[in-house]
Amino acid sequence: MSSAAATGRRLDPQAGEVIDRGSPLSFRWDGKAHTGFEGDTIVSALMASGVDVFSRSFKYKRPRGVLSATFHDPGCTVQVGDEPNVRAAHRRLAAGMDVSPENVWPSLKFDVRAANQLVGRFLSAGFYYKTFMKPQRLWPAYQKILGRFAAGGVTAADAEHGYYDKRYIHVDVCVAGGGPAGMAAAVAAARSGASVLLVDEEYHLGGHLRYGGEAELAALAELRAEVAAQKSIEVMTNAAVTGRYDMNWIAVVQRQPGISVRGRSIHERLCKVRAGALVVAAGLIERPYVFEGNDLPGVMLSTAVRRLVNLHAARPGDKAVVFTANADGDACAQDLRRIGVGVTVVDARTGGNIVSAKGGKRLKSVDLADGRSVDCDLLVTAVGWTAATPLLNMAGDRPVYDPTPARFFPTDRLPATVVVAGALAGDGSTAELIAHGTAVGATAAARAGHGSEVPVPALARVAHPELYRSTTHGFVDYSEDVSSKDMFAAKKEGYDSIELVKRYTTVTMGPSQGKLESVNAVAIMAEAHGVTDLNEIGTTVWRPPYVPITLGALGGRGFENTRFSPMQSWHEQHNAKPLVAGDWIRPEHYGDAAAEVAKVRDKVGIIDVTPLGKLDLRGPDVPKLLNLLYVNKWSKLAIGAVRYGVMCAEDGVVMDDGVTGRLAEDRYIMTTTSSGAATVWEWAESWLQTEHPDWQVHVTPVTTGYASMNVAGPKSRELIGRVVEGVDLSNDAFPYMHVRTATVAGVADCFMWRIGFTGELSYEIHVPAAYGLHVWEALFDAGSDLGVGAFGVEAQRIMRLEKGHFIVGQDTDGLTLGFGADLGWCIKLDKDDFAGKPELVLQSQRENYQRLVGLQPVDPTIVPAEASQIVEGAKKIVGRVTSSRMSPTLRRSICLGFVEPHLATPGTVVTCQLPDGRRVQLKVIEGLAHFDPAGARMKV
Amino acid sequence: MSKVRYPAKYSALGLIKHGLMKGDWPQVWRHHELKPSYDVVIVGAGVHGLATAYYLAKNHGITNVAILDKGYVGGGGSGRNTSIVRSNYLTPEGVRFYDRSVKLYEGLSADLNFNIMFSQMGHLTLAHNDSSLRTMRWRAEVNKLEGIDSDVIGPDEIKKLVPYMDTSENTRYPIVGALYHPPGGTVRHDAVNWGYARGADIRGCEIHQQTEVQSIETADGRVVAVDTNRGRIATRTVVNCTAGWASLINVMVGLKMPLVTHPLQAAVTEPVKKFLNAVVVSGSLHVYVSQTDRGELVFGASTDPYASYSMRGSLEFTEELAGHVLELMPGIAKMRLLRQWAGLCDMTPDFSPIMGITPVEGFLVDIGWGTYGFKAGPVSGESMAQLIATGTTPENIKAFDLARFPEGRLVGEKGAAAVGH
Repeated sequence: MSSAAATGRRLDPQAGEVIDRGSPLSFRWDGKAHTGFEGDTIVSALMASGVDVFSRSFKYKRPRGVLSATFHDPGCTVQVGDEPNVRAAHRRLAAGMDVSPENVWPSLKFDVRAANQLVGRFLSAGFYYKTFMKPQRLWPAYQKILGRFAAGGVTAADAEHGYYDKRYIHVDVCVAGGGPAGMAAAVAAARSGASVLLVDEEYHLGGHLRYGGEAELAALAELRAEVAAQKSIEVMTNAAVTGRYDMNWIAVVQRQPGISVRGRSIHERLCKVRAGALVVAAGLIERPYVFEGNDLPGVMLSTAVRRLVNLHAARPGDKAVVFTANADGDACAQDLRRIGVGVTVVDARTGGNIVSAKGGKRLKSVDLADGRSVDCDLLVTAVGWTAATPLLNMAGDRPVYDPTPARFFPTDRLPATVVVAGALAGDGSTAELIAHGTAVGATAAARAGHGSEVPVPALARVAHPELYRSTTHGFVDYSEDVSSKDMFAAKKEGYDSIELVKRYTTVTMGPSQGKLESVNAVAIMAEAHGVTDLNEIGTTVWRPPYVPITLGALGGRGFENTRFSPMQSWHEQHNAKPLVAGDWIRPEHYGDAAAEVAKVRDKVGIIDVTPLGKLDLRGPDVPKLLNLLYVNKWSKLAIGAVRYGVMCAEDGVVMDDGVTGRLAEDRYIMTTTSSGAATVWEWAESWLQTEHPDWQVHVTPVTTGYASMNVAGPKSRELIGRVVEGVDLSNDAFPYMHVRTATVAGVADCFMWRIGFTGELSYEIHVPAAYGLHVWEALFDAGSDLGVGAFGVEAQRIMRLEKGHFIVGQDTDGLTLGFGADLGWCIKLDKDDFAGKPELVLQSQRENYQRLVGLQPVDPTIVPAEASQIVEGAKKIVGRVTSSRMSPTLRRSICLGFVEPHLATPGTVVTCQLPDGRRVQLKVIEGLAHFDPAGARMKV
Repeated sequence: MSKVRYPAKYSALGLIKHGLMKGDWPQVWRHHELKPSYDVVIVGAGVHGLATAYYLAKNHGITNVAILDKGYVGGGGSGRNTSIVRSNYLTPEGVRFYDRSVKLYEGLSADLNFNIMFSQMGHLTLAHNDSSLRTMRWRAEVNKLEGIDSDVIGPDEIKKLVPYMDTSENTRYPIVGALYHPPGGTVRHDAVNWGYARGADIRGCEIHQQTEVQSIETADGRVVAVDTNRGRIATRTVVNCTAGWASLINVMVGLKMPLVTHPLQAAVTEPVKKFLNAVVVSGSLHVYVSQTDRGELVFGASTDPYASYSMRGSLEFTEELAGHVLELMPGIAKMRLLRQWAGLCDMTPDFSPIMGITPVEGFLVDIGWGTYGFKAGPVSGESMAQLIATGTTPENIKAFDLARFPEGRLVGEKGAAAVGH
């Protein structure tokens, strides 16, 4: 029948229907206007208005319709607006939805690529491994053609990110699955005093009861009332437990939670749940049957038909064959008769079988094993169930196949806090399932600390025929277009384990994640191997997520740590160019870095160095810690003195540097590089906690507790003198490399030290953070007549390079041991022990390492790009430039770099290859400093 | 170089012939009884072990070779990686070595008569700050000196290559440039494993799946036999080509090497129409991503911070991954993550492998591949085969010897790791 003829497939009101006939909704499908009702899924609305085909398959472009009418229905994936791969058999219809088929060319009705079916015999699974090999240069062209067949919808480069949020939930019991057993478990757990989260994938609780008969609906009403009566149960529908991790760390994805934040609705939400106990009541998934034509539109599972008829009042066909092996199939036949569909029943329990389905865009007839051919537009199969075991798998279980009921069952390998309820554990009437759930719920609550355990009644394992494949071949994986024939061929070719056949044919690798396909795939492999016990084949490992989750929900709002100093507002007002430096955003410059350098060299400048890592060290054993972490000696640091130190990791590689000052008998402040603050703190703690727990040292990170500013330049003492109280600033009383506590601009408890990263007389002032901006502004007010100006990171980088101070991580790398960084002067190998000592001892006995040297281009106008390589001959690399700048002070280019030892002698001229291929000469200078090597300027 | 005839050559014509006659293709590799002795026993039927066997047979005529695996062909790291191939490394030794691998990959489909689907779509390593840009420049300069197509490009060029990329300046991690390596790309990892297995099998090497090495016998400081769950094999040469379990095999001959095993997680999305035509890597954001011909996005990240033999995925991994991918390409927020998994990486202190002879005579290693193993499969196999056949360590793997650790000759490739580890 053509879809145009089949209008008016909406049935009269059904007892359990979930549509609201008073609320019609208009939407578009494939460019045409349609209407449905509130409560419809996209597919039920379309089916009610006569649409049979929703997609084209991946490889052969075969028309596909409804199979399972659930989220994982492989043929019902559509594009909705800018959202690809929407599960149309699950997604609720909304007014104005623009729904279109995915991956059709040129149209859903006629896809020229369906011609692939004609040559399908040449395109066996994995055919692409066997051709398109020569010439290699043509592979991109072949690839483009293959790419045209790729499945899936479209994304847009500028699609809205949307607003996603996360929620943390702490409950005693989380119940996965809101069928009768799950609902009963939730109620029982709540009655025991537990808090409960009850999660179900559908829009309403009830599982299979929702589309059952009168008795089921009555039982459901009762259960719903009981759930509603328990205040400690939170019900979350249209949500799924997607993963179970260690200690019942549970991921739940909540779809369209109906929440808006700041006017934007949340598309999906990731809920992260820590539960005392997890009840897995995920139930059973109806399994398709493998036979010729099993993917034709009109071939459906019994549960799909019952959902469409009883929940959505959509007539799935006019004349049906029902192939049944169980009570659900029988009930489906009854439902169909009730709505006036002619039904031919083929009963597997009495030897009936179906052989093949015939048709084009819709089923036309079915050939039966008894030789009959029955005209029909609907073929219903009810051949058994796949236990929804992935969550059990994630909890460490390896379910075992039982041939009598023809499905997998959990074993006793589960942790005590993961309990199975309902059909996963066995078969039973509604009452028996509820009783089982009740006992399991109470047990779960007990294991989460509420009430006591009760005996759980055993559920029977009712015999069910093992029905996987008929006498013909059909699709095993609908989303991947993998047939049983492909699997047999793959096995014969040697891809003979389930893992290999999965990889070779891609069976179970599609968007339905094997929920419909896995057990059939195992059964087909068993058949191919000639074994009857499915356990001999094993199963592939179920991995999270149980259902696909949007990247938006997983990523959430993206809380990325961002740090600003207390002076940020000032920087913004003064047009600072922001520089991303790890967590921190810092001023790179305020317009002209060279002018900032001149200001510091001639007058006085101030830089915000708040990001410097700062650790407050207290206790009598601090010197021991310092001796251990730093390569130099710390035993004799006097109160009021400051020393520079370098840390190496245990492999001798330079890891951080900074100064540490002694403020009082038992109090030290250590500074680290800005990027190393956290690492050094962890490093110190790991030594203290694992190797020296007896040492009396407290390490407190105070990086953001202080605002830090460095006042540098010949006039810095004069400026400081105007704001500091109670400190004699004369060089004799407060010399270079010393620290003083002080009151600065009226702010007490500041400390400041004289150090010289820039090479100038300078005072680094550390102010309680809340007063940072106040002190900063006070310095500028006090120094306006001195010509004070702010300088940024770039000016500081230029000045430290002029002075030859290296930067860890820039002028050193992951292999730079201490001696390679010209640190021989401060590495004290005669110390008892310190981190990295053994490696440094070894290095001191070798010559084969590159040396850090100062370099000056022979042509002073050329600034070699940092990372330019130093070469010998055509291509031999003998070093590299690690830092380079034009020096405004020296009016020439200056560099630091690594060279092989034979080139490290001062005066050596080396060859540097620039990124554009030019080669220039660089001269090795004496020491690392280009400017004021004796340090006269900073010690005044 | 020995030439062989496959009983059924793979070709378009072959597909048509088999399609018409409905004939079966011969087994891609065969099953064998375990023999009491082999000239060479290779532990691990991943890309390294299979390639070693293939080149032993093909280049050196050594075919009395057993490849043992406790699982199935290509079931470890070789089937779990994100199948990226590139040669834009940091050290000259690394660059030359991986360049040879890229060259072998380029000819591998024809050589193996098995389409490995090498898509040289181009490889972009993003820099989000000046220090990572400096490392990109460093790599580019070393690459250029070694003759590798590799250079630093700016945000505008990046946007042209990847229109979905957010190259605006006002992001948390602005993209300031990238190392662009046009020959880089992806291959189909399973095809490489199977192609080598088929090529080794047809030349007489024996692949033994479900065969677990339980101990290794030595006498007078040399290997004499391997004991497996299927029996004892006498041999004078054992090659450890495992990943994840390399230290456990080493211990069987009493060797300890500087290896720490970390899980490395990966994930894949549902397919959407092709929109990403490059491999994109961001070190700062700990993510790499490419799109398969089928339309799925394949993601990888940094190794897990703890040492473990567990191959389970974590929720935090997917959260961080998704957040970072959306930083780069905000438009794909509604794509869905389909599957996550993990593999094991044996990390060495300098992020370079350990290859060659060991203090135990006859016990060779090709291990410690960290996160780079798959890329290096072909060249490692070729080099290890040469070492086994000639008894002399080839020039291109000399730098990766075990002795470099006590002698302080580390080959620092940390800076070329795809993402921070």
